[in-house]
Amino acid sequence: MRVLRALLVVVVILTFAASGGAQAKLKVGFIYVGPIGDYGWTHAHDQGRKIAEKQLPIETLYVESVPEAQVEPFIDKLIQQGARVVLTTSFGFMDGTLAMAKRYPNIIFGHASGFKRNHNMFTYMADFYQVYYLNGLMAGALTRSGKVGYVGAFPIPEVKRHMGAFALGVRAVNPRATVHVRWLFSWFDPAKAKEATEALIAEGVDVFAFTEDSPTVVQVASKRNLPSFGHYSPMQRFAPRHVVSGQLVHWERIYIDFLSKVLAGRYTAENLQNVDYWWLLAEKAVELGGDFGVPVNPVWIPKLQAVKVQTREFGQISVYDLVNRRLAQMSRTPVAFDPFTGPIRDRKGRLVVPAGKTMTVAELTTMEWAAPGIVGPWPKEP
Amino acid sequence: MRVGPVVVERRDAPSWSWTLAISALAVGMALTLAGAIFWSYGVPPLRAYGVIVRGTLFNARAAPEIVRNAIPLLLAGVGLVLAFRALFWNIGAEGQILLGATAATWVALFSPVPDAWKLPAMFAAGFVGGALWGLIPALLKLRFAVNEVISTLMMNYIALYLVSWLVHGPWKGPEMRGFAFTNAFPAAARIPTIADTRVHWPTLMLGLLLAAAVAYLLARTRAGFEIRMQGENPEAARYAGVDPLRTTMLVMVIAGGAAGLAGVGEVGGIHHRLLDPTQISLGFGYAAIIVAWLARGSPLAAIGTAAFLGLIFASGDVMRVALQMPARVTDVFNGLILFCLIGSERALSWRLRWAPGGARQPAAAPPETVASEAPGSDR
Amino acid sequence: MAGEWILNTIVRGIALGTPLLWAALGEVYAERSGVVNLGVEGMMVLGAFAAFALAQASGLPYLGLLLAAGVGALAALLHAFVVITLRANQYVSGLALTMLGLGLSALLGRRWEGLPLLNTLPEISPLTYGGLLLAGMLWLVLYHTRWGIILRSTGESPAAVDTMGLNVFLVRYLAVVFGGALAGVGGGLLSVAYRPSWTEGMTVGLGWIAIAITIFASWDPLRAATGAFLFGALFHLSFRLQTWVAPEPLQMMPFAVTILVLAVVTRRGGAQGVPEALGIPYTRGES
Repeated sequence: MRVLRALLVVVVILTFAASGGAQAKLKVGFIYVGPIGDYGWTHAHDQGRKIAEKQLPIETLYVESVPEAQVEPFIDKLIQQGARVVLTTSFGFMDGTLAMAKRYPNIIFGHASGFKRNHNMFTYMADFYQVYYLNGLMAGALTRSGKVGYVGAFPIPEVKRHMGAFALGVRAVNPRATVHVRWLFSWFDPAKAKEATEALIAEGVDVFAFTEDSPTVVQVASKRNLPSFGHYSPMQRFAPRHVVSGQLVHWERIYIDFLSKVLAGRYTAENLQNVDYWWLLAEKAVELGGDFGVPVNPVWIPKLQAVKVQTREFGQISVYDLVNRRLAQMSRTPVAFDPFTGPIRDRKGRLVVPAGKTMTVAELTTMEWAAPGIVGPWPKEP
Repeated sequence: MRVGPVVVERRDAPSWSWTLAISALAVGMALTLAGAIFWSYGVPPLRAYGVIVRGTLFNARAAPEIVRNAIPLLLAGVGLVLAFRALFWNIGAEGQILLGATAATWVALFSPVPDAWKLPAMFAAGFVGGALWGLIPALLKLRFAVNEVISTLMMNYIALYLVSWLVHGPWKGPEMRGFAFTNAFPAAARIPTIADTRVHWPTLMLGLLLAAAVAYLLARTRAGFEIRMQGENPEAARYAGVDPLRTTMLVMVIAGGAAGLAGVGEVGGIHHRLLDPTQISLGFGYAAIIVAWLARGSPLAAIGTAAFLGLIFASGDVMRVALQMPARVTDVFNGLILFCLIGSERALSWRLRWAPGGARQPAAAPPETVASEAPGSDR
Repeated sequence: MAGEWILNTIVRGIALGTPLLWAALGEVYAERSGVVNLGVEGMMVLGAFAAFALAQASGLPYLGLLLAAGVGALAALLHAFVVITLRANQYVSGLALTMLGLGLSALLGRRWEGLPLLNTLPEISPLTYGGLLLAGMLWLVLYHTRWGIILRSTGESPAAVDTMGLNVFLVRYLAVVFGGALAGVGGGLLSVAYRPSWTEGMTVGLGWIAIAITIFASWDPLRAATGAFLFGALFHLSFRLQTWVAPEPLQMMPFAVTILVLAVVTRRGGAQGVPEALGIPYTRGES
């Protein structure tokens, strides 16, 4: 009996020693909606987590492929593992995260892409719409058939906004071009992405952008010798000669900024009610390119330089220069150019952004209308 | 057969203790195999199991999660027990769950039902929704000879796209900023939960009641007798005047309806809205097949097997968080346990008898009946 | 215009149909011997991973496919042991195999995720023609050789085969393992030809479609080829037609059409193709 008790004491001490050692560092838990190998949204968040862990005195935990209904029990478990900060990375986690923020008032919560906050819960998003506009400018210059394609995951405001920005870019260079849309109703489905791309090719589309968590669209386009734009991760490596540019994300910018402020004591579980990161090009949370540090694939620069357009702001200018000018304008604070500046009419001709107005963040995150030039089904079109 | 002093002989019906012992042995073997896989992944197996036990059974916050997972598994599982007893291979519980959730959502958000009647009406509508979805493959099988494994599977996909269409189109809620969700259910349409947990107890009660009712139906009623007869010997059933159409339809109304109730529980008790179909059920419809199979044709045993599977689900979750393993580790775990359990079934028709020395030889082996008693082992 | 449409749809049908055809042919043979294997999805995803990993390392996609066949066969062997020797329920064992395949490939495959494959096979490759040729050969073997008679009898009336002095267990083992090898190749085609890269769960349900095609084809290898290409074409058309028809009904189309065609085909007497002893474990001395 005594031996048993002694053994028990040892076990208890060891357990506490193990957890005590770990408590020296701030523990941050991440909850992902997909697998980290998806090469899209979740993969990008995980890259951000790894970089933040390297650069800050923190320890991180993650759980992948968490269904929306399971976010609350998983938050419980992360906190039991010692997490003091919990970051949830899907819109569907919003209500669950808020409920847990209320249950654990001393833990700091963060929710990506949502709009509900609490004194201990902030929101954050790194958005691509500016980058999609720049991709659109290039796509407009590169299409020969006048048909540009976009394979979309789900018809939700985020994707509609990105398609809209892309289409506005295409039309800015090529006013008669059209953007042909296919919906997958899935964030990850290579077979669907593939056949959707093939369907667009059959329709005469010759330049591609997309929202899906695999490099499928890039690969299919490349096999047909057609240019495309990468999405979320450096996809140029999957088609070195055909990826023109693309959208890249740096979630670590947001993670490092926020967490270092937590470490410094500036952000606590008391003062997050109004903390909302809506970070774009100017904050370097997103980047133009098919690979880090390569805004435009050098293979395509001569072609883009050869196409000239007439603009009100810069006069006669090559598309390559236009992309760089716009990129510079949007990378500045305050931003000197926004694609969603009126007057803009939607594809039905309704005036959606009046002249002189720029869409607010709230308007952007609830956007449902289809930009002019978009061809294809548009569920819930106003 | 004789192994030293022990005689191995056949038996008709295994006792409960024997069944439990063999099953425990099988689970032990699965855990050993899974341990080897954990090890190759760099996680010491003993540490893994220590973490799992502490994280599930000895954890006040995690234990209710086992029950919460078990609720839909029980409802759908009991329905499948019945379907399998009639030899109807319903792989479509997942779709029936979705239809139940859809019908309940309609009642919750769009029907003029007064508040006091909301919850009963949701359960009723969910039952009808699931039952109708279950009837289609039943009719297809009996009228057009369409294999039910395929039709129920295809019906799952169709249900998936139906729900997807609803939440992206006509039912998309303006409150949700354009994301693919319906609006939240009003308070009257939310199933109450036990205190601080996510255990929606009315659904749990329904599950337990249903298990008892199905057990009664099978054991004590004429319809139950016909169902058993059709499952055990379809030829004889036909001669005895059992109408396969009627029994199959009855079975699928109950099985589909039960799965529909599970769907009501998920949207009414957990999500409080209709959402992307892949998020509504965590694969409960497929896992319920395991529940039903392990219950070996007994609706009451499904209560235990649903709890067991709830535990497995919870264990997988613990491994993902505490050991930082990939999400699919749950699949490895489930697959191994399932393989070992069904692999061990042979052992159930044998028993060991201690008979040292020249004890009497066992009588000639009785004809083996276990294979035909078990649902689905022939068709 | 119409010609272009038809031609394009056929080409796409063949492209997606090829991996489906290989997997479906395997299932046809397994089921002809009387063994249902619902683990096609698991065997395919294991094959996809194995093929990708080896093709990545060696630069030889065909070598990868060979490994995929081996891995698929090994996975099928497990199913065979459980359902033939241990006589466990075939549906449940198949489900277990699907889970195990998806899980194992995800755990083992972590390191290969997101890597590009430089040496790939074209979509319409020798294996497309090979698949068609195989369908023809398997049809010939099935209906016009002694082996075929043995295989079919094993699925129809194993006791009769047993009394002929042939080994029912061996025939079933061979058929199931052969089926697994073909499913492995089907999965491998996804990861080295159809969409050259590896991500866990990349089969996204195509294994289940292969099973549907098997039944749709009434267990006939040539009809399986038709079914596979038809499904591929329908799947593609659901995206091609999106401009004119709302997407959701179109996405349901391949699944609804499968049920409808099944209803029509089986009503016309195609159901006679069901192997009598399908799904029933065989025990010597029992009928």
